[in-house]
Amino acid sequence: MTELQAGQGAQPLEVPRIDARPQRYRDVLIALAAFALLALLPFIFGSKQLLDFVIRCAAYGLFATSLNLLVGYTGLISFGHGMFFGLGAYGFGLMMQKTGVAIPVAFVATLAMTFVVAVVIGAICVRLKEIYFAFVTLAFQMLIHSTILSWQSLTGGDQGLRGGIPRPPFLGIDLSNHLHLYITSCALLVIGLFLMRQIAQSPFGYTLRMIRDNATRASFIGIDVWRAKLTIFVLAALFAATGGMIMALFVSGAYPEFAYWTISGEGIFINMLGGVTTFLGPMVGTMLFLILNDTVTRLTEYHGIVLGIVILFFAIGLRKGLMDFAVEWFAQRRGEGRG
Amino acid sequence: MLKIRDLSKSFGGVKATDNVSLDFADGSLTAVIGPNGAGKSTFFNLITGALRPDAGQILLNGVDMAGKTPPEIVRHGIGRAFQVASIFPSLTVEETMLAAVCADQRRAGVMHRRFPLAETRDRAEHAMELLGLANKRNRTAATLSHGDQKLLDIALALVLEPKVLLLDEPTAGMGTEERWRMIDKVRELWEKQKITVVFIEHDMDIVFKIAPEIVVLCYGRILATGTPEAIRRNEAVIEAYLGSDDHAGAVA
Amino acid sequence: MILVDLDALASCLVSPACLVTQTTSGLIIGMLLFLVAVGLTLIFGVLKVVNFSHGAFYMFGAYFAMTAYQLTGSFALAMLSGAVGTAILGLIFERVFMSRVYGRDVLMQLLVCYAFVLIFDDVVRMVWGPEFKSMGMPAAFQVPPLFIAGGVVPPYYLLLIGVALAAAVVLGLGLARSRIGKVIRAAAHNPGMVSALGINTGLIYGGVFALGGMLAGLAGALAAPVRSLTPGMGFSVLIESFIVTVIGGMGSILGALIGALLIGLIRSFGSLGFPLFTEGLMYLFMVIVLVSRPTGLFGKEVA
Repeated sequence: MTELQAGQGAQPLEVPRIDARPQRYRDVLIALAAFALLALLPFIFGSKQLLDFVIRCAAYGLFATSLNLLVGYTGLISFGHGMFFGLGAYGFGLMMQKTGVAIPVAFVATLAMTFVVAVVIGAICVRLKEIYFAFVTLAFQMLIHSTILSWQSLTGGDQGLRGGIPRPPFLGIDLSNHLHLYITSCALLVIGLFLMRQIAQSPFGYTLRMIRDNATRASFIGIDVWRAKLTIFVLAALFAATGGMIMALFVSGAYPEFAYWTISGEGIFINMLGGVTTFLGPMVGTMLFLILNDTVTRLTEYHGIVLGIVILFFAIGLRKGLMDFAVEWFAQRRGEGRG
Repeated sequence: MLKIRDLSKSFGGVKATDNVSLDFADGSLTAVIGPNGAGKSTFFNLITGALRPDAGQILLNGVDMAGKTPPEIVRHGIGRAFQVASIFPSLTVEETMLAAVCADQRRAGVMHRRFPLAETRDRAEHAMELLGLANKRNRTAATLSHGDQKLLDIALALVLEPKVLLLDEPTAGMGTEERWRMIDKVRELWEKQKITVVFIEHDMDIVFKIAPEIVVLCYGRILATGTPEAIRRNEAVIEAYLGSDDHAGAVA
Repeated sequence: MILVDLDALASCLVSPACLVTQTTSGLIIGMLLFLVAVGLTLIFGVLKVVNFSHGAFYMFGAYFAMTAYQLTGSFALAMLSGAVGTAILGLIFERVFMSRVYGRDVLMQLLVCYAFVLIFDDVVRMVWGPEFKSMGMPAAFQVPPLFIAGGVVPPYYLLLIGVALAAAVVLGLGLARSRIGKVIRAAAHNPGMVSALGINTGLIYGGVFALGGMLAGLAGALAAPVRSLTPGMGFSVLIESFIVTVIGGMGSILGALIGALLIGLIRSFGSLGFPLFTEGLMYLFMVIVLVSRPTGLFGKEVA
């Protein structure tokens, strides 16, 4: 242990320290720039297809990034995170169809409902060991899905919420206007990502990392592991529900597939595709996944086989996501440049 | 003052801790020794809440810790390091320290500010200096040497400013020379911090040389307590634990 | 719409005819679930992997049986091909793919299984088509139903329950008494020791996967005459078998049997009293078990 002596009284201040403040300003700037760029997009390209793609990216991206708060940051592998996506879509759609309240009210009410459901399910699940956690969350997803299917009088069963979701204008925003919907979706995406980034880089975010690395040790420095896990489970559910609401607005309805387990599987796959070690990995994964899915669906009716093979390639072959790969590659090149 | 009263724990009929009563005075340095399976680690696990005692009290300044959870006990001021360095592999040394101080200041759940918090700096810095880890602050824990990982584990306990520090075999898995350096470090920390330190150690030379107080455990019971001199002369200890020839040398 | 119909439940509970009918239907649900769940629990016990694609073996068992029956007209051959076909499939799946992710994190294992859920469903869609299929009741069983205490019991149900029970007994005895059974139990306990004894762990692992696949395939084959066949039919069975193993305790065969029967009875009687909440009852039961006994009714404490 020669290092042990070297440390004593030596030059500890030489090494750069972590600083919090510039990071936050940088993130605000990036968020503003990203929003400006997205908002300008419709004026540069008139393509409705592109805007639709961005809206879907917003819905899926919020969902996938929130899942990464669980999988990547906390080490909680949820295979039922999609239930909150479905819950958001159905909750919002039903609220708009049945009560006719203003959109922001329905938005907040849906989040409140998701909060309650997530607290109950989370309280049961977060104590469980990893494989149990994965499957019990999946089981709850199936419960919600089958409830949606069987409660026909309310949800329309396997037909989904039909007849469109009313979108009365509020504060000068008319979500039945495609451009307004696009801008609103982008705003929700950017705000959502910024909030999640804030959570990930806050002291709480580091608490999550400690739990992921070594939950036992975390509890021996005074962290209430159960409470921290439940907190992030509920927060992630809220962002997933927001994604679901964007989806409901986009298709003007809600369908049982939004609550089916495959949504959760896709979320996990997206995280794998983009990589879980960077904050934006899941966003990159979302774009790749949607492009891949659209292309494959157009080419063959057996897209399950193609997606399955791609997943196998990443899981068994590459063993990491694309962003993980990119980060490592850059780190290596920088290392070589220095040496 | 840490007072243990009638502490017991059994696993399926085997008494791992059998009616143990002990006092650890404030600012004392005590070594816990005993053959394999003597119940040393169980004893630590009971005090820190990793295991729930079947019976007995663990009084820290009069407050009973028995039945409390590990986070609660840590907050009352009993910190611990582990036999196998228990660290956060993906965090850097500095992040580990800053996050630990954060948790200790009950700010582990803060979301509206960025990590690290300015008010956690000084304590983190102090702990890194104390253990000589300051110049490795940007290394991720996984890349540290075995010895440094053990130091980081101790730093993690120390940075919480505990009243009582429990070290489960701080020298485990080290070579002879490294052991001595580690144990000097432990003694130095004890002298500087003026806290109660209890450590488990196998090496008799180390124990007799460094610990003012020794507790000998055997089959979950206290065989003897006292100064190195008294333990050396204790008949029961010599017979039950140090009886074999190869250990006799260490005692003599 | 009626959410709760306690009258229907109560009137069934006092009628012997209804009791017999509902119990039999609960038993066949339970026995089928047991065959799937016991494979799941066995694979988990030995390989420490939850085979997320286990439902696909049930599905393949049913399709294999249907095709064999259509080709040969023999019910026995249909059952046999369902079981043997999926055993081979299980062996290949384990040796070629799953063996690459042992010891890796759970995420990778789940992803590989997820990939195969997608692939297997599409393979079935390709080979047999996306529409609902039915194997039809074999001629030998197209006989008038039995009446027990006034309750209607189709003879095939009795066969199904009998075959599944026989499988359970053979499996239980085999694991307890035979040499292979002992090796498997040793492998579940301590994989290192088995390889130290000079036994090929790869062979054991592949064998256990094949056995698990075979049991699920047999369940699918047995279910084929009384259920409609569709791609994706395995998934809900997987979820229910998982619930069974959670209730019974991961790794416990007796637990799987008790859990499966409980779920079967909850489903059949629950459908009377809580027509819209039958599935919910099942989940509610799982939650109660999880909260009160996290390791399941017969599960051992995991160190």
